[in-house]
Amino acid sequence: MAQKFLVQVIIENKPYINDPEGETIHRDLVVKGGYSQVKSVRAAKMLKMTVNANSEKDAEKTVQKLCEELRIFNPVVSNCTVKASKA
Amino acid sequence: MGVLTEGELRYLQEKLGRPANEVEQDIVGAEWSEHCSYKSSKKYLRLLPTKGKRVLVGPGYDAGVLDVGDGYVLTVHIESHNHPSAVEPFGGAATGVGGVIRDIMSMGTRPIAVFDALRFAPIEGKSKQAQKSRWLFKNVVKGIADYGNCIGIPTVGGEIEFDPSFEDYCLVDVASIGAGKKEEVISNRAEVGDFLVLAGGSTGRDGIHGASFASKALEAENRSAVQIPDPFLEKLLLEATMEAVRQGCVKAIKDLGGGGLSCCLSETSDSLGRGFDVELLKVRAREAGMTPNELMISESQERMLFVTDAQKLPELQSILDKYEIGYSVLGKAEGHENLTVRHAGKVVADMPSSLVAHAPLADRASKRPAYLDRLKKARQPRPANLGRALLSLLSNPTIAGKSWVYQQYDHEVGVRTVVKPGAGDAAVMRLDNGKFVAAKLDGNSKHCYLDPYQGTLGCLSEGVRNVVCTGAEPIGVVDHLQFGSPEDPEIFWTFAQAVNAIVDYCNFMEMPVVGGKVSFYNETAKGAIKPSPVMGTLGLIDDKKWITRPALGHGDTIFIVGETRPEMGGSEYYEYVHGITGGPVPQVDLATDRANGAAVMKLIRNGLVTCAHDCSKGGLAVALAEMAVAGKTGFKVEMDKAPSTCKRADELLFSESHSRYIVGTSKPAEVEQLLKS
Repeated sequence: MAQKFLVQVIIENKPYINDPEGETIHRDLVVKGGYSQVKSVRAAKMLKMTVNANSEKDAEKTVQKLCEELRIFNPVVSNCTVKASKA
Repeated sequence: MGVLTEGELRYLQEKLGRPANEVEQDIVGAEWSEHCSYKSSKKYLRLLPTKGKRVLVGPGYDAGVLDVGDGYVLTVHIESHNHPSAVEPFGGAATGVGGVIRDIMSMGTRPIAVFDALRFAPIEGKSKQAQKSRWLFKNVVKGIADYGNCIGIPTVGGEIEFDPSFEDYCLVDVASIGAGKKEEVISNRAEVGDFLVLAGGSTGRDGIHGASFASKALEAENRSAVQIPDPFLEKLLLEATMEAVRQGCVKAIKDLGGGGLSCCLSETSDSLGRGFDVELLKVRAREAGMTPNELMISESQERMLFVTDAQKLPELQSILDKYEIGYSVLGKAEGHENLTVRHAGKVVADMPSSLVAHAPLADRASKRPAYLDRLKKARQPRPANLGRALLSLLSNPTIAGKSWVYQQYDHEVGVRTVVKPGAGDAAVMRLDNGKFVAAKLDGNSKHCYLDPYQGTLGCLSEGVRNVVCTGAEPIGVVDHLQFGSPEDPEIFWTFAQAVNAIVDYCNFMEMPVVGGKVSFYNETAKGAIKPSPVMGTLGLIDDKKWITRPALGHGDTIFIVGETRPEMGGSEYYEYVHGITGGPVPQVDLATDRANGAAVMKLIRNGLVTCAHDCSKGGLAVALAEMAVAGKTGFKVEMDKAPSTCKRADELLFSESHSRYIVGTSKPAEVEQLLKS
């Protein structure tokens, strides 16, 4: 039975690759704004997709496949995590 | 990771008189990579004519410097970022722009324009290959646009070619020109005790072994060298550098590019004739626990090295502080001639800088490729429907209007752009002394594959025609030589032919080569790219009223200068319309090329023409159509009147013979008279 699932896709630079956006937010906004206890910021992109699928696993598989096939992210640079939950 | 060959390691240890430790091997490995050391190409590059009345600084430095009169200079440099762009098109292309801009800054001049010459596999159709090419194309253009637009330097010109030999790959050449005052050009000197200041981005594990990565054919496993652009930091670095130059705070500047600190420190120390003593703990590391090797060879972006003395150091520091740029004093210039690298006080590398900076040159075998004779003759196509062939050529992505590309670029920022992208044969930029510079990049992989010597002559001839058509006098060129592996004798032969062509052309035209770059190992699992030299031509226009565009005016009389010959090899008509690779490539006759260029320049400068356009890819028919489209008018020409040795109509229309110009005029009698004389 096909059900609706909400799938979250998070695309972020790999940990050893730098992230000027996160660094700038951290340096110029967070630390200058007085929150020096915050030690780092990493920026990422999130997509939310509603998917018809038989299970959470199925929905994640579909989205993972489309992200790779349609070059939603570049595996050389970024990690992509896919997480489904019931919509 | 053993980047040195056995012979190189033996040579290094012989010169040192002792075994080289791991850090030393990594430093030397980065500097002796093909990318940094030019070990295969140097012997040939020495043949290039590099002197001229305007040349203040020739090749070998970060950028060439030309005197444009009235106390002003023009700087120019070209680089490629092929390997990084092939795996990460957005970041690769963007950081390529960043690198070439820093080269211009290193001379103490302000970058005023960026150019890009791009090569991809065909992008038409639904095949997986075409999709991949489109992805590369789209993101490379986006990367260039994003970087240039963020930093406020206009991207004003370039060219794009599509050819199947770039499958799974791409060539991304970026050039930049800069302007400044002659007295502010960095003289690059250092005294004992001067400080070495590393400023800009922090040093991370990104781009480790990038230079040696670029010196290897592209394989899946070494796709680790990815760099992330930070244009805003580069903008800060640019403004801080310009301010430091104006205040006289820096004695030498060097940008950090391929090979990271290894190349930067060894080359700077060697060229300044001073030893360096540096402490790696001072390097602002992005991650904890980075080893000395990693710190020395990291290619993190947006970093510059400044040399300053004790008196000016506080002023430089206050400028960097003002722009919120991170920096650290790495060490000092010393009386000895070594590059001494310490980590927590302990010496981890200690070698003569000149030894590190001068790799033993490689002797490469060279052999004329067998395919050349096979492709000399090609089957002649059945004459196509000429109208349909013309339409097909005009919609060929290599020839078609490139507005999709340049509309993404801010090409006006800085308000110097006089002739804008798509509006002229070359971009024309206003200079501070009231003169104008015309600049253009040209390449033709299809011609260069079939005949590397004539093909390269052709690229130079086309560059000269492009700047002449804007009303400029050519003053210098930069060359970017891109080939497959130099260890393949057949590929190396094509490289040597290309250099010979540049030597012959530039000597004959008395045009200096003021800078350049060589990029080898442009290969994928599917093989090497076609030989792809790209030439950047610079021209100078003294008077605004000489500036000429190709737009045909209503009622203009059309003249063609130059002879059309049945030279169809590598033409877009053969390759794109008929799918034929082979046949005789257009030959450049140097004397004719010079005479035709001089005649057109005279016509323009005597105010006799309303428009001018060079005849190149797609031939006469395409050139005329482009002029008509630009001028929003139609035209009628008698093809029989064009000087020609062609027997077929399609050859006359689509041959890409060199040294041809089309001009429009409202004074036909005077043009005829001048051309006759």
